Amino acid sequence: MAILLLLPALALVAGVFLWPLLRYGWLSLQASSVLTGLVPVPNGGANWQRLLADGRFWQDAAQTLRFAGLSLALELLLGLALALLLHRPLPRRGLVRAVVLLPWALPTTVMALGWRWILNDPFGPLNGLLQSLGLPAYGFLSQPATTWLFTVLADVWKTTPFVALLLLAGLQAIPSELEEALRLEGAGPWQRLRRLTLPLLAPYLLLAALFRLAQALGVFDLIQVLTGSGPASSTESLALYAYLNAMRFLDFGYAATLMLGMFAVVLGLSALVLLAQALRRRLAEMAP
Amino acid sequence: MPTALPLLAALTWSLLPLLWQLLTSLRTPEALVLQGPSAWLQGWTLANYRQVLQGDPPFWRYLFNSCLVGAASTGLTLLLAIPAAYGLQRQRPALRGGISLLLLAAAMFPYVLLFLALLELARALSWGNQLLALALPYAGLSLPLAVLLLRAAFADLPAELEDAARLEGLNLWQRLHRVLLPLLAPAIASTAILVFLFSWNEYPIALTWISRNDLLTLPVAMARIAGSSVYAVPYGAFAAATVLGGLPLLALVLVFQRQIVSGLTQGAVKG
Repeated sequence: MAILLLLPALALVAGVFLWPLLRYGWLSLQASSVLTGLVPVPNGGANWQRLLADGRFWQDAAQTLRFAGLSLALELLLGLALALLLHRPLPRRGLVRAVVLLPWALPTTVMALGWRWILNDPFGPLNGLLQSLGLPAYGFLSQPATTWLFTVLADVWKTTPFVALLLLAGLQAIPSELEEALRLEGAGPWQRLRRLTLPLLAPYLLLAALFRLAQALGVFDLIQVLTGSGPASSTESLALYAYLNAMRFLDFGYAATLMLGMFAVVLGLSALVLLAQALRRRLAEMAP
Repeated sequence: MPTALPLLAALTWSLLPLLWQLLTSLRTPEALVLQGPSAWLQGWTLANYRQVLQGDPPFWRYLFNSCLVGAASTGLTLLLAIPAAYGLQRQRPALRGGISLLLLAAAMFPYVLLFLALLELARALSWGNQLLALALPYAGLSLPLAVLLLRAAFADLPAELEDAARLEGLNLWQRLHRVLLPLLAPAIASTAILVFLFSWNEYPIALTWISRNDLLTLPVAMARIAGSSVYAVPYGAFAAATVLGGLPLLALVLVFQRQIVSGLTQGAVKG
């Protein structure tokens, strides 16, 4: 009986998540582009062969990985610092939390546009700062070697509050008596963090890492508005390449293949994170 | 370690980029490219706001569209998620655990890679350029988190409560409506605000489903404004748009900060 209450929601969830994946599985085995008049024609594994030999796919995969890797590392680090800060007794606690949350709540495209102005060459405030220090203006968004770092900056600015709140929940679940006991043993703040807080926070860190990893690997809005994949495709992500194939080149068969390729990357890396966590726990248990 | 300095750093880090937008939005194009301290004395204007508000369509139209989609998505999500959460809580632990795990995986899923198949659906069903139709994919994308959050809230209620109501002869609808839901109000509020924020901010699906200029939601309108003039220097109008687009969120976060925080943290504790 109770299962009936569950069914409408599960049906919609399946329609939104499961159907696309099945559909991509089928589409990835079809030629479906302007060349076929957008009519799907089975073409064996041609899309998959093309994917494996597609230098742009692999380049975008590498670019997406470095973006996600650096974003994730910075967000966990800064998120932890922010969570430790918010965990303290603060004046005007509600207001402080609201202000800290704000970057996360704003639409990504809105602040991506804002960052484009902040990073503008030569009139943006960041270049204004450089120039007032007597330094030359820097093309933050026009240097293929470094522009991706500023997409990371914008992402870290936006999503650190989210990580911080997840970790704050973990901090609040730690009994304060434990911390007190360690303090009485003479453990300093750094030792308390390493011996008590971090181990107890591990499940929350894992959850935040998995969540942020998947989202960062799917980065789309931010890059489309901030850099438009440029300069010279140096910030193009997998999602943007798939979007380009679907909406610009109208090659649905290959776009579907790219989506599945991206899904495989997300799945593989998430499994790797889970595996690393399991291994770490195993080692910790084996240690005397 | 003292708290004041890191606190100041955190607040500055969060607010400075936003304040800079506010500042930019109040300056004339000429003033924005001026250098030196004397630049601050001149060139203040409200013209950027006038330009944005009198655009075609006027900016408030995008805000209205986003509000409409957000409200419809939130309503639909709650309508489906509340019974589903109740039903999930009533399952055997093994099944409940399995379904919860799948929902958690769906909640984390980088949903951008679903857009192509969803666009095909929208075309097949002629849902393109229908604002309210967006509520369906948005509800589908929000349901995993919503069901998990509400399930955790149902689990917190003492089981005797519902048993007592059942002995009183209340049927399922009456038990939910009169006894359980009032107690769940805080969890429902948290869920609602998170779903609303997601719908308000969603980009790839709105981008591909809506093409008519007067039906765009706010995030897509912002991206279109951005794309229309990639290398133009006068950012005043852009900044005015970011400020206007950010203000409703600012209000929302200030008012519902507690619900947002508890929603996110509850999700972490019990999801």
